Amino acid sequence: MSQKDETGLSSLERSEFIRRKERLYRRLLAGCALLTIAVTVGIVLSLSGQALTFFESVSPVDFLTGQDWSPLSNEPSYGVLPLVSGTLVVVVGSAVVALPIGLGAAIYLSEYANPRVRAVVKPMLEILAGIPTVVYGYFALVYLTPILRNGFSLPVLPEFVTDPLPVVSEFTLVVPGLVPDINTFNALSASIVVGVMIIPMVSSISEDALSAVPDSLREAAYGLGSTKFDVSTKVVVPAATSGIVSSYVLALSRAIGETMIVVMAAGESPRIPTVPNVFDNFTESIETMTVAMVNIAQAESLGETVAYESMFAIGLTLFGLTLTMNYIAERISRRYREEY
Amino acid sequence: MATESETLHQSRRFRLSHIKGKLFEAVLVVATLVGLVALVMLFGFMFVDAVSPGSASAEWYLLFFATLVGPMSAFTLYSRRHPAVRGANARASAAVFGGLALSLAAFVVLRAMSPYGPLTYVITVGGLPLSVVAYGRYTEETYFIGPAVVLATLLAIVWTLGSEVLLSPILDATFELGVQLLGGLPVLGSVPVPVDRGHTVTAIAVGVPTLVAASSLLRRRRSTDRLLVVLAVFALSTAGTTGLNGLLRPYLETVPAWMAYGGVIGTPVIGTLALVVSRRRGLRSGVVAAGAAVVGTALVAVVALTLSVDPRLLVVLSLGVGVPTVYVVGRTVLTDRDGQVGVVGPFVIIGGILLGAYIDQSLSVTGPDTWVTPTLLVESWDGLFPTEAGAYPSTVGSVMIVGLMALMAFPVGTGAAIYLEEYAPDSGWQGKLAGVIELNIANLAGVPSVVYGLLGLALFQNVLDFAPGLVFSASATLGFLILPIVIVSAQEALRSVPDSLREASYGMGASRWQTVRSVVLPEAVPGILTGTILALGRAIGETAPLIVIAVATATSSAPEGLFSSGAALPLRLFSASANFDPAYRTGVVAALAIVLLVLMLTMNAIAIIIRNRYQ
Repeated sequence: MSQKDETGLSSLERSEFIRRKERLYRRLLAGCALLTIAVTVGIVLSLSGQALTFFESVSPVDFLTGQDWSPLSNEPSYGVLPLVSGTLVVVVGSAVVALPIGLGAAIYLSEYANPRVRAVVKPMLEILAGIPTVVYGYFALVYLTPILRNGFSLPVLPEFVTDPLPVVSEFTLVVPGLVPDINTFNALSASIVVGVMIIPMVSSISEDALSAVPDSLREAAYGLGSTKFDVSTKVVVPAATSGIVSSYVLALSRAIGETMIVVMAAGESPRIPTVPNVFDNFTESIETMTVAMVNIAQAESLGETVAYESMFAIGLTLFGLTLTMNYIAERISRRYREEY
Repeated sequence: MATESETLHQSRRFRLSHIKGKLFEAVLVVATLVGLVALVMLFGFMFVDAVSPGSASAEWYLLFFATLVGPMSAFTLYSRRHPAVRGANARASAAVFGGLALSLAAFVVLRAMSPYGPLTYVITVGGLPLSVVAYGRYTEETYFIGPAVVLATLLAIVWTLGSEVLLSPILDATFELGVQLLGGLPVLGSVPVPVDRGHTVTAIAVGVPTLVAASSLLRRRRSTDRLLVVLAVFALSTAGTTGLNGLLRPYLETVPAWMAYGGVIGTPVIGTLALVVSRRRGLRSGVVAAGAAVVGTALVAVVALTLSVDPRLLVVLSLGVGVPTVYVVGRTVLTDRDGQVGVVGPFVIIGGILLGAYIDQSLSVTGPDTWVTPTLLVESWDGLFPTEAGAYPSTVGSVMIVGLMALMAFPVGTGAAIYLEEYAPDSGWQGKLAGVIELNIANLAGVPSVVYGLLGLALFQNVLDFAPGLVFSASATLGFLILPIVIVSAQEALRSVPDSLREASYGMGASRWQTVRSVVLPEAVPGILTGTILALGRAIGETAPLIVIAVATATSSAPEGLFSSGAALPLRLFSASANFDPAYRTGVVAALAIVLLVLMLTMNAIAIIIRNRYQ
């Protein structure tokens, strides 16, 4: 210290206190960042801890291959297959809705729409992802299912216009019910609404991938005499495949974990899907993994029973499934990021 | 001939591919429209059921068009042409409507909790850092004040929460053990033990900072008197903090309720006002401004008391809306000659609504037969009479849960983002760790929300042994859930700050923290706020994790504190949607759904406005 004073270097060096202060802030901030690791560790520990005690009373083989799920009955049975297949039904249904529509919207927004349209439409589509899922569930149960069963009629003109002019009241839009024998709780309306919810995930991530395709590729294709259709379908979309696929995987992983819509609209009757009449699976009530968890959580005065622990076992399955899917999506999208 | 057929052929091909292209474009437009139509249907059906706009008379529409929509659109059109007016309008609207929303939320929560508990917290947790800052202003000390404020805040939070939650079970156990040990000794057993848990907490709270102070004083000789004063503040306020139930609370409860409300709302509002004004115009003006705010609010209260009106809401509104509005309007009128007119904006809207409602009342115009009424937000649930049914307890619960969650997730999320963007090196083990953290955050963002519920259930009920469904557990669970969203958006905001600013700051000799605090963060705050508000919008509607941690889906009493059982708006919607009475099913419940949607949309709109203004 005294030597440095002589050479005048001490003025350039921060004092010990300031260095300590900097270190303190650094550590506080690092602590915040490490908290996220703690959350993951907490999730893994809490899930696996209870799940392990569950697997002491129910063997993992029975759990994974059992075809009956009735944890709250007098003779409980813990086979997860009906729940997994229920989840699969919803995922397939929502994929049919969301994947083509989302990709179509993405191509339109990235290739066709002018900037002003895009500036309005893109945020509006993203509102769909922000709507509370409980509102979606309510919509599916109270509005969509009756519409699917009975159709709906919409007076094109409001009453205070038609009242003075009785002739006009004839104009009523009537749409017949598409699925007359649909159950009150059914997989179809739940899947459609889950699909609508994940449209913006597909469209905005895919749109980012499509927009990231360099203009030089488009210009080269136009230079060779391609039409806009050819450029979009044969150049831009193939070049952005990995981004699109990763958006698909992320969206489906969101559909797997979706809870409230399915709880409210799809009911709670675990069943293995019927194979030849695939469509019947959608008109009937099903039960997904998430619904099973909510049902157990809602059953009061449960304590530390096997049913309570089974909730964590399903949670672990769900966590593993979504983690794997997110990891795959991350790998795929990382590959596409390297391309350009 | 050959060429002619070729061109014909080509033109046919051309026409075919033209049609194909048009068809493809039409398909794409339809795909895009499906999403929008779904959005319109969702809002449309629920809106028609909840508000029944068809039941209002044409006069009603004309009336509100004349008083509200007309003037508002005229003003908007005018201000679009004048950027200064637009800016002033945005500031004034933010002050008026932001103040209104926050004060109403605060009032509702305080009414449910009784204001004395929060007052104790405000005085202790807020008083500690504020007194450190005031001391720094007074002595113009910059050396210790920064870390002292951080430490004081952390310490106060840890002790205040900790003494109630984490510490008490441990202390109870130790205390009982101590009593048993003492009781085991024959001589001491006859002596009545003079301490109880509150005193033990206080002793630890005062003892630890004092010991820390002593040890650091022994090591350092320079500026000891200043350090001593700062630490004395620590020790005193910490003692107050932890002894809050025993020491401070009885005195505070003798204060009339409206003063307690004023204290809770006023301390942060007037403190901020004093800081902002004194930074702009010097210490004296700051004190004068704060004094004026206090006197003004006291006047409001006195007038209300002489007219025998309940002064509580008026005091809260005067502090939460009046003070920021007067400050923003006054400042704009005095300093911003071009934009002056803009401050009228929010008053055009409020005046339009009030005038319309007044004429509506006096001429008794038929308004819409709506379910979205004040009853919905101020009354408890009624299972028999749908017109009496409201979601007051759930609303209070949602406000409490989301507010506390924001207080927890915002600093932690921002801190993590600052570490990852500004501190973490690219290489070495720390760089690898940062990579792992980033990957981990990306994965956490994809974890289903029910799984967070299981985390909350295991952490708070199994490990910490809390009662099921507390407000605190709900906030913490949702806090974990939105943490990745907050971090990622804060990271984006920090990344968009140009490096040249950082380099300039380093070039002037600033340290890393100084650069972050005074250069990077001020630039990034709008972006960070945008992300946080979006995350809050998501948290308001989150239902599944709350069901899993056993928050009651149907309660008739509002939560009374952070550690009493919670309630939430989406849970009420969930439980009520099973009702088959159409008055509930497509009436009250649709109105609840509309309330949730409007809340979510408002938050998104605020976030978008902030983003557009600052980018």
